[in-house]
Amino acid sequence: MTITTTEMGLAARVAGVSRRFGVGHGAVVALDDVSVGIRRGQFTAIMGPSGSGKSTLMHVMAGLDSSDNGSVWVGDTDITRLPDRDLTLLRRRRIGFVFQSFNLVPTLDARSNILLPFDLDGRKPNVDESRWIDSLVTTLGIADRLTHRPHELSGGQQQRVAIARALATRPDLVFADEPTGNLDSRSGREVLTLLTEACSRFGQSIAMVTHDPVAASYADRILFLADGRIVDERERSTPEQISAIMLAMEATR
Amino acid sequence: MRMRWREYRATILVAALSGAFGALLLQGTVLLTALVAGDSIGEKESVQLALGLVAVVFFAIAIFVGGIVTANTVGTVIAGRTRDIALLRLVGADARRLRASTARDGILVGLVGSLIGTVVGIGIMVGLVALGRSTGDLPETTPQLVTPMLVAPVVAVTLVTWLSSWVGSRRILAVSPIQASAAAVEPDADTVRSATGRRITAIALVAVGALLLAAGVVIGLVTMLGILVGMLGGILSFSGIVLAAPFVMPAVLRLVGRAMGSSPTARLAAENAVRNPARSSRATIGLVIGVTLVTMFAVATSSYYDMIVRASEQYPDDFAGVDETLAMTIGVFSVLFGFSAVIAAVGMVNTLSLSVLQRQRELGLLRALGFTAGQVRRMVLAEAAQMSVASVLFGLVLGVVYGWCGAQALLGSMLGGGLVAPSMPWFVLGGAVLVAAVLAAAASVAPARRATRVSPVAALAVD
Repeated sequence: MTITTTEMGLAARVAGVSRRFGVGHGAVVALDDVSVGIRRGQFTAIMGPSGSGKSTLMHVMAGLDSSDNGSVWVGDTDITRLPDRDLTLLRRRRIGFVFQSFNLVPTLDARSNILLPFDLDGRKPNVDESRWIDSLVTTLGIADRLTHRPHELSGGQQQRVAIARALATRPDLVFADEPTGNLDSRSGREVLTLLTEACSRFGQSIAMVTHDPVAASYADRILFLADGRIVDERERSTPEQISAIMLAMEATR
Repeated sequence: MRMRWREYRATILVAALSGAFGALLLQGTVLLTALVAGDSIGEKESVQLALGLVAVVFFAIAIFVGGIVTANTVGTVIAGRTRDIALLRLVGADARRLRASTARDGILVGLVGSLIGTVVGIGIMVGLVALGRSTGDLPETTPQLVTPMLVAPVVAVTLVTWLSSWVGSRRILAVSPIQASAAAVEPDADTVRSATGRRITAIALVAVGALLLAAGVVIGLVTMLGILVGMLGGILSFSGIVLAAPFVMPAVLRLVGRAMGSSPTARLAAENAVRNPARSSRATIGLVIGVTLVTMFAVATSSYYDMIVRASEQYPDDFAGVDETLAMTIGVFSVLFGFSAVIAAVGMVNTLSLSVLQRQRELGLLRALGFTAGQVRRMVLAEAAQMSVASVLFGLVLGVVYGWCGAQALLGSMLGGGLVAPSMPWFVLGGAVLVAAVLAAAASVAPARRATRVSPVAALAVD
């Protein structure tokens, strides 16, 4: 009898996952036998220097990239060998994304961008979902921007729209890839506060990839990656503590 | 500025098509002259002149359309390579030099393409002559068809390719070095510069042209000279429409897009087709011109035919055997005009491929958010369908108007004054629908394949 991901209190997990890019001398080991879980209802930061494999870990967990070996679960679904179509539906219905460069669809206005996951499913949000989206839009402070196209919005506003889109379907897990990377520090802090609130108020599980110690300090739990391995793990920490760990990691490399 | 081989493919193809067309026309002229005129020297000269003129006109139309296509192709490529150009500018490259070298590449590409085309054209002619001999339609001895004159189309195509590369590369001058570092998700839509001035000129041209066209039709009721007034009106109003393409085509595209339904794929496709007015007008205007030419000619001859039929009912003896001759003329000329449409179609297919290539990131995003590969494929197909249907429809409408006006202006007086309803040969309508369908499918195959291969990871990569 095996224990399921949900029973472990996890939203997603990987076991013994490796990922290698290229062959021969030029090959790069992005992930080296990683086993880790993202806790349900928590805000988890995945930290590490450039090339540590943090983005690859996220891609593999979100079903965007495949692993060479090992297993990947989203909720209780083993997605390791899921065909492309099922992975697509999984991303559409159970995973939310927030990107560094916002990545809104430029031809759609803010509202259509938020409703895109429903549109792709060929359905309209039901009453309950509509109410949820309305409250999201209000909380995120973009209610008066819904008819604007992305290029008419500031970076901070675009990222709020992206967050609304990611949360709209109440996914099992939201992945955020350097969500503050393209923002000024004030907008960045606001976005991080919003993500923290999504976690604490709505119980949304969030995994955020970042190399910014300040951003990571908003998280409940911080995983440190280096050279494709998990090298450390901390509960909530101050930016100074996180920086110290990062510097120590650099020193021992 | 060096472009990649892939980016030259369409231009080479267009140059080759133009070159082949030129070679075929030239050889055909020589052959026909010999056949029609026989041994009479005097008759030979006049036939040669008439046929030569027709050949030159058709060749000119073909390379004109080819030139528009090439300029648009180069423009699209440049738009997609703003970052590269900006980087070169950043490290000290001179914008004028970059542009000049792009245009110089045009000479080479035009030369290579037209040479390939000429060889193919000569090959086709050899085959046709052999076929003619075996069926007995051609005498055993035909004149030497490969003449030094064949150099002329090669030179013309090369020059046009050079010129259109020069025109198409003008955007290089507008690229600022700072754009190398900007995290622009996609190259900014070409801003239609001096939009108001352009709009006013276009409206004025169309208005004056339309008035002259109408005048031509009215004058045509009395005398054949109406065609001269009408032709001037046609040229003016059509130039106006081409000039106004960035405003007009998006409207036409939007109309067609609305007819395609409201599924997310159709909606996104419809938006994509109009998101960049400059790009979509570049992609479609060539085809509009091609279809307009074909339709105009077909409608004109068909209306002409109706008038002749009416006349022949009154004077049966004078018009014996005219049916067959006319039908054949319509067929032959439609093929000749159709060639320009083919060249234009190449341009549209290429623009769509390039625009998909330039949208990798966005396609990756849609895949990440849950667009299935099938949905992406349908989206690209819908976009292609929208562009082809819009161009063909618009071309048909314009062609019917111009063709009818032309026929009326030239022949209205023949029957003692009278209007004939525009008549549309069924094969043109059927052909247009077929062309639109085939084109939509063909235009979307390669881009759709490329689009579905885009990995969602591409959307997350920060470049």
